[in-house]
Amino acid sequence: MKNSFVFSGSGGQGIMSAGIMLAHTAIDMSKHSTYLPEYGPEQRGGSAKCTVIISDDQIVSPLTKKCDTLICMNEQAYRKFSKDVKEGGLLVLNASRIVNEEVRDDVKVLSVPVDDIALELGNVKVANIVLLGALIGATGIVSKEVLAASLEEKFKTKKPEILALNMKALERGIELGKTLA
Amino acid sequence: MAEYKRPSSLMPMATGYCPGCMHALATRLVADVIDELQQADNAINVVSVGCSALNLYSWKGDVIGSAHGRAPAVATGIKRCLPDRLVFTYQGDGDLAAIGLAEIMSAANRGENFTVIFANNQTYGMTGGQMAPTTLIGQKTTTTRFGRDAQTTGYPLKMCELISVLEAPVFVARYALNSVKGVQDAKKGIKKAFEMQMAGKGFTFIELLTNCPTNWGMNPLDTLEYMNTNTIPYFKPGIYKDKEAEA
Amino acid sequence: MEKRFMKGCEAIAEAAVRGGGRFFAGYPITPQNEIPEYLSWRLPEVGGAFVQGESEVASINMVYGAAATGKRALTSSSGPGISLKAEGISYLASAQLPAVIVNISRGGPGLGSIQPAQSDYLQATKALGHGGFRAMVFAPATLQEAVDLTYNAWDYAERYRNPVMILMDGCLGAIMEEVELPEMKEPTFENTEEWCLARVGGRTDSHMITPILPEPALELLNKGKAMQYKMWEMLDTKVEEFMLEDAEHVVVAYGIAARVAKEAILRLREEGYKVGMVRPITLYPFPKASLDNLDYSLVKGVIDIEMTIPAQMREDIELQVKGRCPVHEYGRSGGMLLDDEGVYDAIAEIVKGGE
Repeated sequence: MKNSFVFSGSGGQGIMSAGIMLAHTAIDMSKHSTYLPEYGPEQRGGSAKCTVIISDDQIVSPLTKKCDTLICMNEQAYRKFSKDVKEGGLLVLNASRIVNEEVRDDVKVLSVPVDDIALELGNVKVANIVLLGALIGATGIVSKEVLAASLEEKFKTKKPEILALNMKALERGIELGKTLA
Repeated sequence: MAEYKRPSSLMPMATGYCPGCMHALATRLVADVIDELQQADNAINVVSVGCSALNLYSWKGDVIGSAHGRAPAVATGIKRCLPDRLVFTYQGDGDLAAIGLAEIMSAANRGENFTVIFANNQTYGMTGGQMAPTTLIGQKTTTTRFGRDAQTTGYPLKMCELISVLEAPVFVARYALNSVKGVQDAKKGIKKAFEMQMAGKGFTFIELLTNCPTNWGMNPLDTLEYMNTNTIPYFKPGIYKDKEAEA
Repeated sequence: MEKRFMKGCEAIAEAAVRGGGRFFAGYPITPQNEIPEYLSWRLPEVGGAFVQGESEVASINMVYGAAATGKRALTSSSGPGISLKAEGISYLASAQLPAVIVNISRGGPGLGSIQPAQSDYLQATKALGHGGFRAMVFAPATLQEAVDLTYNAWDYAERYRNPVMILMDGCLGAIMEEVELPEMKEPTFENTEEWCLARVGGRTDSHMITPILPEPALELLNKGKAMQYKMWEMLDTKVEEFMLEDAEHVVVAYGIAARVAKEAILRLREEGYKVGMVRPITLYPFPKASLDNLDYSLVKGVIDIEMTIPAQMREDIELQVKGRCPVHEYGRSGGMLLDDEGVYDAIAEIVKGGE
């Protein structure tokens, strides 16, 4: 079973780190995974995109034209990449920033206001974790426990509040993801 | 009285330099100092491109040839890997002050712990006497047939002055090899530079004003007077920086 | 063996350290910056030295100096920077100094694009610098292969006293995959003590290392190298031959392009089409025999897939195919990436052409 995910948005939205966390978690679960970032030349604020492939077998090609799941953090990314999700695939949208967009009717759509939720939790920076949670809640692609463990590892040198905030963001995202019918 | 003999770093052969050329004298001074410091087995000579490359064949100790202008980069690689060796580059003015300007300035600025011996004869000797960055205003060369014109070629580059304004170098000095006093001072300067390197003090730079009888179109004796009246007034000998004296 | 999920550039850097690399000099250029960034802290940990050079030119010459001391030295860059290093690489070949040069390639020519491309095949295999010399060119397709090739690169460089190039595109430089890291090789002067400037192995005599030689000696060097290049072809050619036995169409691709092509081949095989692949792992020496020895009574076409336009490997392929079947090419270029569908469609069109 091979699953491809494209995370898209603009620099600073935590797109790349969400992608790495997903890939890393898959590896921790003894799956195979590749993570491929694509950057513009800008250091800040440019477009950001990364592709994560998760598979039970060795991954042959890390380059795919169409993905199973597309995650869009803003309208710009949505307009640019929405055509790249496979028919019957999943679109995960940041509803805080993607409004009034026509949505394809041949894909499943999970729309979550991740910026607003992150702000509500206390810091917009955890929007990407809410998003990752929503993705896991909706697809079950990796286990929550393994991801939580890697978050613990990642934030072990930081203040405990930071880990707690990220954990809350993850939980909240998962809840919302599970609402996808 | 000291015995006058061949320095142990030189091969028992004639150098490839033209009669009367001060490159031979400069090389000899370096080799003498190496003997005085008992470093013949420890020194590494990083040779450049130009007449100075003839050193490759007459040098008996460890020696490595490098690309045009790149000797300070090559010396950086060597010294970082072999910090206990006495490493020096031997470069001419076309090599060091034109094509190798980035390498010399950057190595000096990093404070690399090696010594640069810079022979400045104001011309490209081996390629046939073209204008060098150090060629004097009005000096005739094969690419400035009517004399160097500042309007189109700028002014001779003063390397000691340039390098001495950098923070890292610890000893920067210029000597003229057209007098006995100048030769004696130069030898002291080279020795001081090597000693500072061996003490791990940092980057040292010795500029030696030399001649080129062949391309200047003069007999060797006349070059001595020419240097007094033309070269030395522009490239003033002296110690431009000495962090030991400052301390 | 230690397993780690690593970025391509960092995996290469770590493999270089574990392979005995103890000196690096380089200059910032995208998309290979993670190599110098990683080595800037990693090399001092193992007693090595890192220098950020003032230029590409200076950096390769620092490597030249370091290699002369008998230590294992490397540099890395991308296309435009490799052009600048050309002089220094030629000097390494001339002075017979071993070194490892990594090219994480991008779109070209010129400043080109910072995005990945396989645009430096011709430069790497035909003319890494002036004067008519060759270097072995390793082209990994996975990070594991990149790690293994880098780890062993100095063994070849020192055996033949010649620079070795690792060529991989920006995709593989940026991608993260799981790799198994080999054990740390402790650096020795085993292969270099005879000629290097270091006083090792009880040596007290001095040495000359020179990039210029008297004419008869230079001709001798040229002749020796010519023999060596033939030897590489016999002993050191590395290639993956994939599903060739019954193949009616043969794809030739290296690096990232080979991975995308392999997926297309697997899909076509499922559909019943007999497609195979020759994947050069050494671009130089080129795996001539793999193409020359194909059964051309079966093979109807050879397809060169590269992430560059025009295809640069084509002449090398044609020299082996010798007109026995048509040679086709497909690629993307300029930093536009190959993808699974595009490559599948291109191969399928040729394979199913007769239908």
